Amino acid sequence: MGQLSTPSDAGLIDINRQGSARRVRLSLKTRESLMAYIFLAPFLFFFFVFVLRSVVFGGWISLHRWPILAPDKGYVAFNNYVSLMNDSLWWTALQNTVVFAALTVAGTTVLSLLAALALNRPLPGQSFFRILFYMPSLLSVSVVAIAWSWLLNTDFGIINYGLQLLGLPKVNWTGDANLVLITLSLVTIWWGFGFPTLVFLAGLRGIPEPLYEAAKIDGAGGWALFWYITLPLLRPTLLFVTVTGFISHFQVFGQPYLMTNQGGPGRASFTVIMYIFQTAWRFFNLGYASAMALTLAAILMILTLIQFRFGGRRVEY
Amino acid sequence: MKKQVLFLSLLALLAVFVVALPIAAQDPTPTPMPVPSATPALGSFGQGGTQISFVNGLSGSDGVTLNGMIEQFVQENPDISVQTETIVWDTMYQRLQASLVAGDAPDVVVMHVWALPQYASIGGLLPLNDWIGTGEGQIDPANFTPLALENASFGGTIYGLPLDFHGFGTYVNNDLFEAAGLDPSQPPQTYEEYVEMATALTLDANGNNPDDPNFDPTNVVQWGTTTSWMRVVFLSALAQNGGRNISDDGTTVQIDTEAGRAALQAMYDLIYTHRVAPPPAGFDNWQSFAAGRIGIMPEGSWFRNFATIDNPQLNWTPWPMVPLGEEPAVWMSSHLFAVPVTTTGAQLEAVRRFVTWLSDNNIAWADSGQIPARLDAQAALAPETYPSNIQFAEAFNAHGVYDYPALGWPEMVARLDAELDAVLNGQKSVEQGLADAQQQMQEILARTG
Repeated sequence: MGQLSTPSDAGLIDINRQGSARRVRLSLKTRESLMAYIFLAPFLFFFFVFVLRSVVFGGWISLHRWPILAPDKGYVAFNNYVSLMNDSLWWTALQNTVVFAALTVAGTTVLSLLAALALNRPLPGQSFFRILFYMPSLLSVSVVAIAWSWLLNTDFGIINYGLQLLGLPKVNWTGDANLVLITLSLVTIWWGFGFPTLVFLAGLRGIPEPLYEAAKIDGAGGWALFWYITLPLLRPTLLFVTVTGFISHFQVFGQPYLMTNQGGPGRASFTVIMYIFQTAWRFFNLGYASAMALTLAAILMILTLIQFRFGGRRVEY
Repeated sequence: MKKQVLFLSLLALLAVFVVALPIAAQDPTPTPMPVPSATPALGSFGQGGTQISFVNGLSGSDGVTLNGMIEQFVQENPDISVQTETIVWDTMYQRLQASLVAGDAPDVVVMHVWALPQYASIGGLLPLNDWIGTGEGQIDPANFTPLALENASFGGTIYGLPLDFHGFGTYVNNDLFEAAGLDPSQPPQTYEEYVEMATALTLDANGNNPDDPNFDPTNVVQWGTTTSWMRVVFLSALAQNGGRNISDDGTTVQIDTEAGRAALQAMYDLIYTHRVAPPPAGFDNWQSFAAGRIGIMPEGSWFRNFATIDNPQLNWTPWPMVPLGEEPAVWMSSHLFAVPVTTTGAQLEAVRRFVTWLSDNNIAWADSGQIPARLDAQAALAPETYPSNIQFAEAFNAHGVYDYPALGWPEMVARLDAELDAVLNGQKSVEQGLADAQQQMQEILARTG
């Protein structure tokens, strides 16, 4: 029995020899890492096949003139990116997207935080309110857009009807170029504020109660409690809500597509994803559309890094 | 605690707003809000062993007519069954594109003439020259106008079999005309007469017309007319003013021209100078016409079923066009049957029988409001049943203006749409909008040829 044991500080490898067989004993740390990778493997497999591979292939497409069905797909290097920088419609779409995302993220964050603060009190019917607020998130964008289109219809909508009953003028909610992005943002906030409300609620429940009690003993009032305890300790939650919010709302498509005649009036609600969709699937120009998509991804990555830089400091308590 | 309850209650009200209020307010205004009958997305016809898949975008009330024809076809051809998929046009074209890439395209589709070059140029469609001729089992080309077959072709090869002509006509509300002391059977011959009629038909909440000094443009309850689908009204008006969208040699966009400016100015003036038409954004033409709030509405031939079946209370008269220039001209297009290259063998033969049968029975398609493409079917239309089809057919045959059959046309008109929208909603001047449209369209034309 020739057993060789070579322990080390790192506790790395034990090798057992029995005839020609060789058994390798791994350290606990290595075994845990290996186990983690095994559990991650199914996700990683699908991630590589359906996401990473597609992103890399998208990058390859963006360097070509790529009419989807035509055999002639010429290499154009970075011409698509150069064209994009000189494309006024791209900048219009990007500006609209940024304004929409900023309005929506700000509105959603404030509203859902307020709702979560209210729901965090021992109120009767808490579960009912939580379900009620979350319910709009379950609707598809088509349902939301069509329902709100009818509600906001200039001549037949219930909202303008109500305004007129109050002696106020009718509002062209989706037809006024100065108002359309605000309207779309309000609809989106209504649609999506339920989920961040639950996230904030979970964050609030994680704040230790003794911190509040100690602060109260020191004479802190309601505003001071919120400003010096709640808000700082909610920073990781706030970061999660804003990062995911920006990523999600930068990809707005269904609301303007269905509610504003595909980006109108004029180009007032034309967004980046609408432009990508049109270019790829109506005009068959996948090369240019891929360049747009990757540029948008880069913008989102930079925006996310900035958010992490300023909002991602570790919370100690 | 009270504040929190109040806040939550307000949020709860907001959350249920979308669902609860429309139910509570069954009739917020005294006007009806009809919805066109939709065609079922999926259909299965017949039990025959040879199954063909048929995809089209006729998702409005016109698709119901087509499904009735298919039902008749499978009864007469029991060896063939037809699976239909009816989806809105945009999605239909994406589905076709994706399925061609995947090698799993439907056996037969309906597409527009403007889409044909995109698919024919990449080898996605089968040539159909053999199907058209004077031989046994062929469709006689004499049944079509030369223009119809020309627009079903690409590079001299026929890729589509025309199903119909469709385009823009005009629908007028007889009751509003009579209330204004006008005769709906006498269409205006000039732009001035058109404006005069529309002025008499436009009323604010106090019953004043736009030429009355007390007219309140912020509270109009009845419009004389509308600019409707801006692009096709503009293309009609462009031709009426002697213009043409692209030069004959196919190299130059001719939107920002004297004719283009006159055409768009005529439309702009209806809204902002004569105040007889609403700014288009947020205005629902079909519902407003059904509610008796529009006197003269330029609209497509496909509007017929909505006006007759969905709104039998409407008392309307068709006009062939409205005058926005000196010459008679009206935008038109055509639906075509096309066969993807992936269709072969027994399916291809069944598709040929299917398409030939639908062409031979083309007159039944008139129920959809569209104009049958076959001249023998057009000649057989009964005037008392198909007044709009007959009037529109005469206008299309005599003065129809097609879209430009170029690869880049769909991209060009997307840019044109946005610029027209900006101008007619008061965001840009006529000159600026046309200059911007011209520049963008010219770039696309230069790139796509």
